[in-house]
Amino acid sequence: MVTLADYLPIGIMLLLAAVFVAVSLIASRLVRPDRPTAAKLDPYESGIVPETEPVQRFPVKFYLVAMLFVIFDVEIIFLFAWASIYDTLGWYGVAAIFIFTFFVAETLAYVWKRGALDWNVHRRARYIPSGATDEAA
Amino acid sequence: MITPPEISWLAIAPDLALTLGAALVLLVDVQWKPVARVHAWVSGVTVAVAAGLTVAQWIQAAPADALAFSGLITMDGFAIFTRLVLIAATALGLAAGWRFVAGLGRRGAEAIALVLLATSGFSLMVASNNLVMMFMGLEVGSIALYVVAGLARERRESEEAAIKYFLLGSFASAIFIYGVALIYAGTGQFEIVGIRDLLAGFVVSSPAVIYIGVGLVVVGLAFKVSAAPFHAWAPDVYQGAPAGLVGYMATVAKVAGFAAIARILLTGVLDLSGSWLPVVAGISVVSMLLGSVLALVQGDVRRLLAYSGVSHAGFIMTGVVGGATDAVLFYLAIYAIQLIGAFAVVAVVAGPDAAGSSIDQYRGLGRRSPLLAGAFTVILLGMGGLPVTSGFVAKFGVFTGAWAEGYEWLVIVAVVATVVALAFYIRVIVVMYMDEAQEEGTLRIGPERWVLVLAVAATILWGIFPASLLDLAADALPI
Repeated sequence: MVTLADYLPIGIMLLLAAVFVAVSLIASRLVRPDRPTAAKLDPYESGIVPETEPVQRFPVKFYLVAMLFVIFDVEIIFLFAWASIYDTLGWYGVAAIFIFTFFVAETLAYVWKRGALDWNVHRRARYIPSGATDEAA
Repeated sequence: MITPPEISWLAIAPDLALTLGAALVLLVDVQWKPVARVHAWVSGVTVAVAAGLTVAQWIQAAPADALAFSGLITMDGFAIFTRLVLIAATALGLAAGWRFVAGLGRRGAEAIALVLLATSGFSLMVASNNLVMMFMGLEVGSIALYVVAGLARERRESEEAAIKYFLLGSFASAIFIYGVALIYAGTGQFEIVGIRDLLAGFVVSSPAVIYIGVGLVVVGLAFKVSAAPFHAWAPDVYQGAPAGLVGYMATVAKVAGFAAIARILLTGVLDLSGSWLPVVAGISVVSMLLGSVLALVQGDVRRLLAYSGVSHAGFIMTGVVGGATDAVLFYLAIYAIQLIGAFAVVAVVAGPDAAGSSIDQYRGLGRRSPLLAGAFTVILLGMGGLPVTSGFVAKFGVFTGAWAEGYEWLVIVAVVATVVALAFYIRVIVVMYMDEAQEEGTLRIGPERWVLVLAVAATILWGIFPASLLDLAADALPI
């Protein structure tokens, strides 16, 4: 049975986090020298002065890279979990992780061949519009 | 210390074969860029291997090893029969949609892979004994189908179908998983067999949370099988999705959804049947009447088939009320073949990637293409449940079950709905034979012809000699 007392560690953790943030902020305010200049208050101290807010259209390829990153990131998570108990799982674990890795590798091979990793969009192999023949590839 | 689960590779072998086949299609496509015929071979062999492995499951199936992977997967007759129906639907669906797939060019491989993945997901869903596993299968299948609905992305209707299907489908999935959570809260079990044993062995003092959970699960699955009043997405999706593949989409979602409903209600919470039977009977009545009446006023054959699907969902629900899984399985198998056959006709008449299919296109079809019109007539009469067709045997099976259960009023409503439904099937037939053709030119037919031959043969042969399939369905018992 789960009682409220079981949540006590989480409560203590939250409390510690809040105390840590408060102590760090207050301590740095008290200890540091306080001499602000206009340049120091800029988000970026050096580089080109930003002209527009970055609320605009991004090329879709960034999202593609983000999605691919998630796929391979998740693969690593699964591999870590398997690696920590691979001797207990035995050949079943080996078979399962090989099937899984095959599909991830297959995904990589597919997107690579399709040109998803090619930064220059114009060189990427284009889809054939509906109705075209297969030989037109 | 973790003990690895007992392994039965055979229990997931068909799903694994379908998934590997999907990967193979994609890899072959990017590596060699072959002509469409090569994809036909790869996907055909994949489906054949999956069917062979399913038959091997049927031969080997024994109650002792019905549960595998720590109770996640079952290998009972119910799962194997439904899986065979799904795989047959995949083969027929790919054949019916082949001209659309081939017309997609390089994107055709993705269409094939999505179809195979959808089948593997639904096949896992019908074989799962665990509600979370069932959700996994449901999502794998559904997400693949959302993309299939939008494959003809040059057309706005296809995009509309995909986005509507996606939004309402994910909403339904969320309702389903919330119901699963509440069932777990009430019973402490995800396993359907475990829930059954718990309810049989103990008296649950406050079952309200289980009732709400079962209700939400039924609502979520009723969305997937387009039972009224959760059917609103079906006509738009059936109308907008590519004509070649919409029969497949509709069929696998219905088969898997009803298999899940039957397994949860008739195996898992059968002991609570006093509380859910009236609700399921109500959904059944609303679906039958609403579907049949609204189908009467449709001017588009695809919307008509969608509303007829709503009324069929109601008929299958009467089978669930009757409590006999074999009647439900028989109905699903028969309806699956007829639905794909009907949409194969639509794909021929309207074109494989068209949206919509106005009834005007069917005027005079009996003179333009007598064989096509004849096949459509047989399929429509089979759907309507005329005697000597398999649809009659299927309807008889579900109605007798409900009658024996004491739901006579439900059967009477169902018979009335059947008569109303016959009216709109016959309306299409009348239009095909009595009216003058408004369009000229010969219709192009591809591999759809094999689908039509099989659908007509199944409708007539299983109408006259239903025993072979009935025996098979009677052997296909859930654990």
